[in-house]
Amino acid sequence: MKTNNKKPFLNMDERNRQVANKVISIMYFLTIIAMVGIIFYRQFVIGQAIREFEDIAVILTVNSLFLLSALLYFGAIPIRQLKLKSIVLIYFLMIILGSLFTYTKYNIFESPGLSYEQLFEKLIIIILIISLIFLFYIIFSILGNRKLDKELE
Amino acid sequence: MEYLYYLYTMVNLKLKIARVECRLSQQELADLCDVTRQTIGLIEKGKYNPTLNLCIKISRVLNKTLNDLFWDENE
Repeated sequence: MKTNNKKPFLNMDERNRQVANKVISIMYFLTIIAMVGIIFYRQFVIGQAIREFEDIAVILTVNSLFLLSALLYFGAIPIRQLKLKSIVLIYFLMIILGSLFTYTKYNIFESPGLSYEQLFEKLIIIILIISLIFLFYIIFSILGNRKLDKELE
Repeated sequence: MEYLYYLYTMVNLKLKIARVECRLSQQELADLCDVTRQTIGLIEKGKYNPTLNLCIKISRVLNKTLNDLFWDENE
């Protein structure tokens, strides 16, 4: 009665895969949260310089960048249903959050803090980086949508 | 009556009955569908929603239609 099309090493069925994917997703999420926690702890509690935890920061940044890009590319986020208003709102929210983080980092946890001119320079850098990230995401979502449309043809 | 309805909706009795009619154990049905015994057990208990592909596979193995096994007239 047995079929012979089983894989020799690990024969996972759809339920096994579903459970594994769920567990992996939760563990991945917890790892990312832990890494963010480590960065905040090192920066604000221990007061380490950025170069001392640059490796973790780079991994985290690249990881989150590619995670969202992959989600957009493979069609996990229904980008076509998102309104332009919402996208613009997210863009400005990211700028506000970035500015708040920078202000907290330089003017609350460090003294003497930055002058208004220096803060303005930082703000321009924040806007530039967030715009680049958004451009990156837009390119990935366009490419992903094109791929899906091609598959549907 | 309410208990029976609960049993009917929470447990896939149709699948269990069809499997028994074919004189198959959970393990045998699982082997024929390329899944684990636990997966068949959970479907019968109503604790796992199989994909359409697996539903079709099970229906073919048990020589039934999808409606016969997975359609709930009460819903």
